[in-house]
Amino acid sequence: MAEGKDNQKLLEVKDLHVSFFTPAGEVKAVGGISYDLNYGEVMGVVGESGSGKSQEAYSIMGLLQSPGKVVGGSITFEGQDVLKFSKEEMTAFRGSKVAMIFQNPMTCLNPVYTIGNQLVEALRAHDKEISKADAEKRAMEMMEMVGINNVEKRMKQYPHEFSGGMRQRVMIAMGLICHPQLLIADEPTTALDVTIQAQILELMKALQKKTKMGIIFITHNLGVVADICDKVSVMYAGKIVEQGPVDDIFYKAAHPYTLGLLRSMPRVDADSYERLIPIEGTPVDMLNPPEGCPFAPRCEHCMKICLKKMPPYVEIGENHRSACWLRVQEYLNKKSDSREENGNEQ
Amino acid sequence: MGKYVAKRLGMALVTIFLVTCLTFLLMNAVPGSPWLSEKAPSEATLAALNAKYGMDKPVHIQLLKYLQNLLKGDFGVSLKMQKNRAVLSIIGEMFPVSAKVGAIALCWAVLVGVPLGCLAAFKRGKLTDSILRVVCTLGISMPSFVVASILLVAFAGGIASMKIFPTIFDPSVGWRTYVLPCFALGFYPMCYTARQTRSAMLDSLNQEFIKTAKAKGLKNSKIIFKHALRNALIPVITYLGPQVAFTLCGGFVVESVFSIPGLGRYFVQSIQNRDYPVIMGTTVFLASFIILMNMVVDILYKIADPRINLTKGGE
Amino acid sequence: MAEEKKMKRCPVTLQPDIENILDWSSLEAGDFEQASQSEKEDFIQDRQSVSYWKDAWRRLKMNTVAMVALGVIIFLVLFAFAGPHLVPYGYEEFNKGAENLHPFHYALEDQKRLEAEIAARTQTETLSVDDIIAQAQAEAEAKGEKLSSVDIAKLRAQAKVNTQSASQEDAVDPDEILKELGIKKKLFGYSMAELERKAAGEKVFPHIFGTDMYGRDILVRVMYGARVSMSVGICAAILVLCIGATYGAISGYCGGRVDAVMQRIVEVIYSVPEMLVVLLIATALKPILTEYVNTGSGPLKSFVAVLGPNLISMFIAFGVLYWVTMSRIIRGQVLQLKQQEYVTAARALGASGGRIIRRHLIPNCIGQIVVTTCLQIPSAIFLESFLSYLGVGVSAPLPSLGSMATDALSGMYTYTYRLVIPSMVLSIMILAFNLFGDGLRDALDPKLKK
Repeated sequence: MAEGKDNQKLLEVKDLHVSFFTPAGEVKAVGGISYDLNYGEVMGVVGESGSGKSQEAYSIMGLLQSPGKVVGGSITFEGQDVLKFSKEEMTAFRGSKVAMIFQNPMTCLNPVYTIGNQLVEALRAHDKEISKADAEKRAMEMMEMVGINNVEKRMKQYPHEFSGGMRQRVMIAMGLICHPQLLIADEPTTALDVTIQAQILELMKALQKKTKMGIIFITHNLGVVADICDKVSVMYAGKIVEQGPVDDIFYKAAHPYTLGLLRSMPRVDADSYERLIPIEGTPVDMLNPPEGCPFAPRCEHCMKICLKKMPPYVEIGENHRSACWLRVQEYLNKKSDSREENGNEQ
Repeated sequence: MGKYVAKRLGMALVTIFLVTCLTFLLMNAVPGSPWLSEKAPSEATLAALNAKYGMDKPVHIQLLKYLQNLLKGDFGVSLKMQKNRAVLSIIGEMFPVSAKVGAIALCWAVLVGVPLGCLAAFKRGKLTDSILRVVCTLGISMPSFVVASILLVAFAGGIASMKIFPTIFDPSVGWRTYVLPCFALGFYPMCYTARQTRSAMLDSLNQEFIKTAKAKGLKNSKIIFKHALRNALIPVITYLGPQVAFTLCGGFVVESVFSIPGLGRYFVQSIQNRDYPVIMGTTVFLASFIILMNMVVDILYKIADPRINLTKGGE
Repeated sequence: MAEEKKMKRCPVTLQPDIENILDWSSLEAGDFEQASQSEKEDFIQDRQSVSYWKDAWRRLKMNTVAMVALGVIIFLVLFAFAGPHLVPYGYEEFNKGAENLHPFHYALEDQKRLEAEIAARTQTETLSVDDIIAQAQAEAEAKGEKLSSVDIAKLRAQAKVNTQSASQEDAVDPDEILKELGIKKKLFGYSMAELERKAAGEKVFPHIFGTDMYGRDILVRVMYGARVSMSVGICAAILVLCIGATYGAISGYCGGRVDAVMQRIVEVIYSVPEMLVVLLIATALKPILTEYVNTGSGPLKSFVAVLGPNLISMFIAFGVLYWVTMSRIIRGQVLQLKQQEYVTAARALGASGGRIIRRHLIPNCIGQIVVTTCLQIPSAIFLESFLSYLGVGVSAPLPSLGSMATDALSGMYTYTYRLVIPSMVLSIMILAFNLFGDGLRDALDPKLKK
């Protein structure tokens, strides 16, 4: 098995809690999530708006805006605890080790500076030695790599002279210019046209193959996940409700929420008479999160215990876990069956 | 670009024209005349005077005549205050004095106001911010005569040991004479600039591209001075136009308090004296100046913001 | 072996272990039954929905600065509107014998001591001019001469110079003596006559802030001044609100050509130098209105007479120019709201234009309107004081804080309090309105606060 670093942990998040201290009270945006990511792996984080998926990513970058704060857990990147970084270490860490691209490429570039200026700046922030000419050369290479033509001219243009897709390409080029090991993409295709979305996804896939970096891909679009990810975490109300390899999530979904998401997604291979089924109801209020499973009130299989207690994770397959009392029930049933069998044997 | 400037210039000319007409009609609506304070002139003298200065004709004819003369650059002559002296030459003498004081005041206001605003935005929610906020709000709450009189009392005689600056404006004394008037005049614009800069800065710091800059791993200083400030300063430019106007008009009061022989004080005196041509002349001149300054600032704003493409005619 | 396998399958060890959890969770028999719909509904503890105004009030209450400003405003309103009823002096009442009183006084006996002390110190025999002349004449007569009138004049002048220099040399500084005698200033101003009356057991209301050169009580004048300022501020703000909101709403709602024309007008007014024109309008209108009051008739006349031409001309000046900002804000809001679906829905249901403006647009931009109106008050007060200071605003006999400051300029160094008191009240008033307006903006528009 000559995989090199491939099976080593790049990032490990343990029991991360993020809270926003608003005047109305503490909003627990992220309530204890754990996952890990290996070198060269692409993980999708899926969930609806407000499920805490972006906040979780921001806490890795140390970009949580006040009044948000990491209140518990740990984030380990290549063996270093990110949360214990000093300000300077954090600054050096951002951009060079981890890069991030955002949802809206329209507002993410500074309108008063040229594209070239902003690209070069990203490079020179971490490589103090590099000369301006070299930096520009690198910036142009990066722009070519992300598929922008006529680079010389484009470098001197302002963001408003770029289309949305082109700007997102610039953002990607800017993120990758320092060869980070991890790229966090926060809904990078949501604000784009469908055709452009496909182009950007293709580009990211190609770049990922080339650079072997890890990617955390945050989205609410399961289709995108299927396209690009190795594994998926499904988040609901600040908690990961299901986690597993991408095929397992799609074909052996174990949590009603994941199932709901899958059913509400249009599919090309579906029977033409099959209807899309929306998930009824709205997400819970994160200000007073209920004791039990947050999805319970919207869940068609809701049981009494769901309203009382958060379910534990149950392993369903290899690396495939789900937090649902239904699975616990199954597990218990299986166990009692096997006990019975054992008993019979005895 | 050219089209935009032309459009703005057209608007400015229309505005100047309207202000001229409005002033003229208002002046004529006021009862009383420039001759009144002199020992009650006889009917005959009055009629003769009115005839001499064309004031016996109907208002609209007078207005037309005035506008005609204005186009020729003739602002008329003073009727009372400096009898028969050309208004234009009076303005030429007084305006440089006002302009110098005003320019110094505005310069320090901007040079101090912008950094203070940045500081407050940077220290948002901290003690520095609160103090600066209250001080700047106080600054825009104190009419210039209050500031001027406090300064006079404090530094020009009220407290014997603190008599540092002269009470009455006199350029021959040197720089000292400028300190108090310029401070009094610039205090309001300074505080105003600081407040605007603060809110523009906060606005700018909340933009998404600041998040990008942070994600790039830029240093805090670079984020603030390169990315936030440049974007914040663009709207601040727009406030400069009205501030030029305010500084000039604030000059009315400050010039009275410090007896500065400037246009503002003269304007107020001319109103009190009903010296019509002087009122008209100074109003038209000051209004044109302010309107043109506003226009220049607006154009500068468009130039400073690369998003606006002026070659396509603006907007 | 089993242990090993488990570790491999579950790489993140912090994941709650199902076995452990099931050990401590004592599951009840019915736990795995389907929950009923009502149970599900009970489960959602909805956040108590807070209304817009309640939420804004909560935010405002947390803003200490704004709350203090509100307190100051309430105090000033009481001061200006209830205050004059408590003080037994009128704003135009000349209190004879109480001219130029400082806001402090010396007790009666202290003053007598002071006088005695001064008298004692100045008793060094300096001859009066007449004595000198009489002496010289006597000397001359003794020599058989007669003093010419020129000589007498010379003597007189010399004597004057002598006495002057003498009094300058050993001038008695009352302040020094006060210090030596240990006499302390007492709060509030009383004239001598008033002190005597007080000593006789009468109740005398003090001149808390002293009096001016005509013996008018400054406290009362400041109260009336504040009343004028606040009335001007609030009326002007309401006027601006009415004109601006109507204009802006119509312009924004109609759109198209109407909007274009209306906006051109706004642009023109926007670039008019406000102060200049307001100054002119205020000056020009005052005499016209005064004449109207004197000669006109009808109900409008009495209305003008009640408010006074000063105030009305100022309102008009303000109303003519200052509505522009308001109209721009409202128009922007309306344009934005017009895109909203519920407005389209209302229109689809056949609601009239006026109804849409009233029922949908105005309630939605009320926050902005309130803030802009509130911030209009201080700027109107500011302008009023500015005009009054220049002598074209509120004029005698009605006092204004601005004109009080002008009046005080002449004796600025000796009677500093006359300048400082109205200036302070004015500044504090504007400051309080500004700070409160800022707080209100933060509270009503949380987006701006971020």
